[in-house]
Amino acid sequence: MKLATKYNRVTLIASIIVFIFTGVIYYSVIHYILTNKLDRDLAIEEDEIAAYVKTNGKLPQAGSFKEQKVSYYLIDPAHDFERKYFNNDYFNESEQKIEPGRSLISTIDVNGELYSVTVTKSRVESEDLVRIILLITLSITIVLLITLLLINRFVLNNIWKPFYEILSQMKAFNLADKNDIYIEPTKIDEFTELNAAVAAMSLRVKQDYRELKSFTDNASHEMMTPLAVINSKLDTLIQTETFSDSQGELIEDIYVAVGKLSRLNQSLLMLAKIENNLIGDQETIDLDELIRQKTRQFQELLQSQEINLKTDLANKQLNMNKHLADMLINNLLSNAIRHNYKGGEIYIHLNEKELRISNTGSDDELIASKVFERFYKNAASEGMGLGLAISNQICNLYHFKLNYTYQDTRHTFKVSF
Amino acid sequence: MKILLIEDESSLRESIITYFTDEGNICETAVDYKSAIEKINIYNYDCILLDLTLPGGDGMEILRTIKKINKKDGVLIISARHSLDDKLDGLNLGADDYLVKPFHLSELKARVTAIVRRKSYDGSNVITFNEIQIDTQAMSVKIGDNVLTLTRKEYDLLVYFIANQSKVITKSAIAEHLWGDEIDLSDHFDFIYTHIKNLRKKLIEAGCKDYIKSMYGVGYKFENI
Repeated sequence: MKLATKYNRVTLIASIIVFIFTGVIYYSVIHYILTNKLDRDLAIEEDEIAAYVKTNGKLPQAGSFKEQKVSYYLIDPAHDFERKYFNNDYFNESEQKIEPGRSLISTIDVNGELYSVTVTKSRVESEDLVRIILLITLSITIVLLITLLLINRFVLNNIWKPFYEILSQMKAFNLADKNDIYIEPTKIDEFTELNAAVAAMSLRVKQDYRELKSFTDNASHEMMTPLAVINSKLDTLIQTETFSDSQGELIEDIYVAVGKLSRLNQSLLMLAKIENNLIGDQETIDLDELIRQKTRQFQELLQSQEINLKTDLANKQLNMNKHLADMLINNLLSNAIRHNYKGGEIYIHLNEKELRISNTGSDDELIASKVFERFYKNAASEGMGLGLAISNQICNLYHFKLNYTYQDTRHTFKVSF
Repeated sequence: MKILLIEDESSLRESIITYFTDEGNICETAVDYKSAIEKINIYNYDCILLDLTLPGGDGMEILRTIKKINKKDGVLIISARHSLDDKLDGLNLGADDYLVKPFHLSELKARVTAIVRRKSYDGSNVITFNEIQIDTQAMSVKIGDNVLTLTRKEYDLLVYFIANQSKVITKSAIAEHLWGDEIDLSDHFDFIYTHIKNLRKKLIEAGCKDYIKSMYGVGYKFENI
């Protein structure tokens, strides 16, 4: 839930409760006051009747006039009688309709005879008044609520704008990117503080990242020279004299290890380069042609493994760096060969939308979520576990999608363009 | 051929010199920017092997100087920087080739030989080794008068062997030369053997002496007998 929504909801509910509550109190108080006033009027009327009886020794004329109605009837003095106010409906003769009224019933002694006197006054006026007051209050309430909501929406949105801005910048923040986080200054202290903190943090993180990167980069480069020395010394060593078979094997093992080490080093450098977006020129690549060329390059390897290669290539052009395109196809294809078995199959399918390379291989499905991680490899693999990480980086760089699936004993890597 | 090696790493320098200095090759060295510039200004070389990271200056500057003073020397850049940009930059500035450290000395020799062959002899593209004649323009091989039909890989292999004659060449060097260093073939050296066997058979059938010698475990040697 958004902060503004949450806030709106709380204020809305609170104001509705408060308005209902105060509305009820307001209504009852006004109602009480008006009823009180009517009662007083009724009491005055009663007094007037009593005064009339005292002076004239008889009841005034019963009847209805001016929103007021007076009636008498004789009652049994033995009967206990109570003076009370009550609400009722009565027939207003001047208006010719039944109207709500307020009545006072009391007793009066006229020359030894006990009469019950009922004085009724119309409540219409006071009810109307209450209704109008209620209506006005309600409309004010509604207008107020709407205003409140609108203010919340527009003012809050406006106030929170810097927050969303910094949020979007943080979302777009990329370590490898060159541009830093920049936010428009705001007048609100909290956001200014937040901006400053985020900017400082991003700078620090970038600085650390740069240092780490340059460390990896330098370390890898520095390693290349000793590797070159080892290699050249080995090359020189094998020229010196004839070796015994076992010595020859030892030297070959060293060669293989040095070769692996330098390949590993180069892969790490390549990863860093792609991550840092230090890739040079792009050009139009005929992917189908490139794949054909690569399959030719791998032909001897395929033959020696007796792997059956089937291709289905439609014409597809991509705009990317030649070397990276090369490397991508190389990695995927050599994986398909490396993790195959003798007499296995490889199927390459290329169309406008995707490139699929599927191969027969071990019956164990790779873990799709880990397969593109660096140095992830299954126990049987002799590779370094960097090939797919690099392939994935290359795909990311050009916004392709690389994924892995396993179906019907076939491992498939798919690049969606 | 006359070669200038500009490289600050002394042990690497030694190995390269040892590998190159025989069969009448002259190999001079420069260890820093200043001495390199001096030598380039005074002498002419068939090929200059240039390391890009040098004390006292950028190797790329040396390349610019060579081009500025209009030297026709071949230039091969050897660098630990496997940067695509470096590579392009170097080739754009007029380097003839680019080799990334670490490399096999046999690969270096083959590349240098190729550069020197392209640069000198003024259009003569024939490599001769005893009865073997290779026309690099037409990519054809003749043993005496017999024309030999070789596959592309066999042809490359033969040229590579002759460039590195009398040297032991490792299987991994051969694999990298023929299939490129992007492919890790270290588990599949057996099919290199097939190629060498085929080449050897074709050469012998065409009346060539058996120059290719297998050095168990280590590799192969193409040697005059």
